[in-house]
Amino acid sequence: MTNAEQRVLRRWPSLLLVTGKGGVGKTTLSCVLATSCSDAGRNTLLLELDPRESAHRMLGIPPSGGEVERAGHRLWLRNLQPRTELDALVEDRLKISAISRRVLQSPVYRHFAEGCPGLKELAVLGHALRCLRGELMREEEIDQVVLDAPATGHGLSLLAAPELVAEAIESGPFGRLAGELAEFVGDPERCGVVAVTAAEEMPVDETLELLDALEERMDRAPELLVVNGLYPEIPEGFEPRDEIDRLWIRRRKVNRRESRRLSRRWSGPRIDLERRPIDRSPELIEGLRRRLEAQLEGVAV
Amino acid sequence: MRFRDPDPPLIVVVGSGGVGKTTLGAALGVVSAEAGHDTLVMTFDPSHRLKDTLGVGEEAKERDVEVMAGTEGRLSAGLLDPRRTFDRLVARYAPDEEARDRILENRYYDQLAGSLAGILEYMAVEKLYEAHREGGYRRILLDTPPTRQALDFLEAPSRIVGFLESGALRIALKPWFDEEGKLQAGPSWGFLRGRLERWLDEIVGLDLLRDMAEFFRAFGPLFDGFRQRAREVETLLRSEKTRFLLVAGPNEERIPDTLFFARKLREAQYHLGPVVVNRIHPRVSECPEATSGRRLLSWEGEQDHRGLEQLRELLPEEQLVTVPFLSREPTDLESLGELGAGIEEALTRFSASEKGGS
Repeated sequence: MTNAEQRVLRRWPSLLLVTGKGGVGKTTLSCVLATSCSDAGRNTLLLELDPRESAHRMLGIPPSGGEVERAGHRLWLRNLQPRTELDALVEDRLKISAISRRVLQSPVYRHFAEGCPGLKELAVLGHALRCLRGELMREEEIDQVVLDAPATGHGLSLLAAPELVAEAIESGPFGRLAGELAEFVGDPERCGVVAVTAAEEMPVDETLELLDALEERMDRAPELLVVNGLYPEIPEGFEPRDEIDRLWIRRRKVNRRESRRLSRRWSGPRIDLERRPIDRSPELIEGLRRRLEAQLEGVAV
Repeated sequence: MRFRDPDPPLIVVVGSGGVGKTTLGAALGVVSAEAGHDTLVMTFDPSHRLKDTLGVGEEAKERDVEVMAGTEGRLSAGLLDPRRTFDRLVARYAPDEEARDRILENRYYDQLAGSLAGILEYMAVEKLYEAHREGGYRRILLDTPPTRQALDFLEAPSRIVGFLESGALRIALKPWFDEEGKLQAGPSWGFLRGRLERWLDEIVGLDLLRDMAEFFRAFGPLFDGFRQRAREVETLLRSEKTRFLLVAGPNEERIPDTLFFARKLREAQYHLGPVVVNRIHPRVSECPEATSGRRLLSWEGEQDHRGLEQLRELLPEEQLVTVPFLSREPTDLESLGELGAGIEEALTRFSASEKGGS
């Protein structure tokens, strides 16, 4: 089988949620997955939610500032502000701008939008779905969205939000949108999760919690588990000469121990990526993309 | 800040997620108890091994548990679980059983209240109040939750009080719906009533609003007491004696975060104590045969030291406390104590310079 054929077989769901604990390299992996999808011929949109933008640096473009930025032949980046997106959605649904302005400015709405759980998540997922349907970014004909999910709550709140809101709001356009989104994220063919972790204690704790919660609450599993930032392997017969060498050995040991803990729980598709002494840059993404694809050849995704 | 002294009675550990706040908080707790003070470590999200060490399982969500015997002071630990604290609070402050059940059985509360934005902060305030007033501790080490806008937590008391005093709650408490669940409107609303009802329904659906209004109404009496408690916590956080310990990642990329925190704390007139730069990779000396591990660690060491040098230019030298990258994350009481003791010395130096300076 040629590489191209294998790539066709390896079709990701059209929305990929990249999730994991803060600091494990979620944004880096989101960039890697997005470039890999766009290289495989899919018109890909990468959505970053962290207001402190960093994806642009790794794609070698200026910051998005909330606008859609072209990042490659079939690749676009947008920094999405959930609150702004929610306001836009209200405006879109209310049609009459005089009324929507008053709604948007009222303290009741402001408190409600900030406080009511699930609404902002709904707006973010709604944005992704509308792009995929061609209702937004029409000309770009987006057929793949990679969402760099927020660090907190295991990104699980994003997946759980539509159903939560659909239960609480039964009528109105938000209720309908929530219903549609619940169906969308509930369909593993269309929406998948990529869990990123480091082989260290806290991130592994959180990943195990994520795996359990996905299974118990949603009866599903991630498409892929990425173990990032591994220390290089210790060569056989290596004799540590100083504190630095010993530090390396001990870090690698932690990696091995935590990696085993993951293996005991997860036997699905998984790839391991080594930590490299390279700043966050397009060069880093390119190197990781090649490693990811090489390992995916051997993994049934 | 010095642990043999009984002050500061409250140390708030702040910093971005993943910099080691929880571990450092626990380490200082151990030192404080060893120095003879009854100490509480209040934490949110410990790793499972730190949880084991501190002995904070499910039980610690209900009440503080004793961690260590044999030290001069008592060391206790508490784990904050928003939903549990919320339930307990409702049970405690609701004026009567009927009101309590009305809240606990409310659909809005049941489905959404546990994840309501700001709830964690609200609960932390309540818990801190409880520990401070009733716990009988000489010192409290307060770990802060890993929020995106990380100072949310500190602003929570004044924000909640602001909200309680704003019109929003009055509107929420207004009996919006009559007995039949129809939207109430004054006589002047006239034809607008139908319209208002339609667009409220458009946005959120009236069912949710009904549940919410009912929830806030049932919750009203609790809010009153909260205002009082939030004010007291606010005073405690701003007290001359309270110290904020800022934990920072060493990496160059983390510097904007650290400065942001330091500036925000100063602007809000909290008392910023030392800034602990945690997990600094060592500098690697030249080595003829560089292995991949050495190249990596040397790169990390360079990055961290570049970051540290920048911080040194931006913050007073005596305010910076550096902690090397430990090859083993301290998770038992002994290694936590060692880590804490290492920091204590620097803290003592800082406190001396603070006294000299003021």
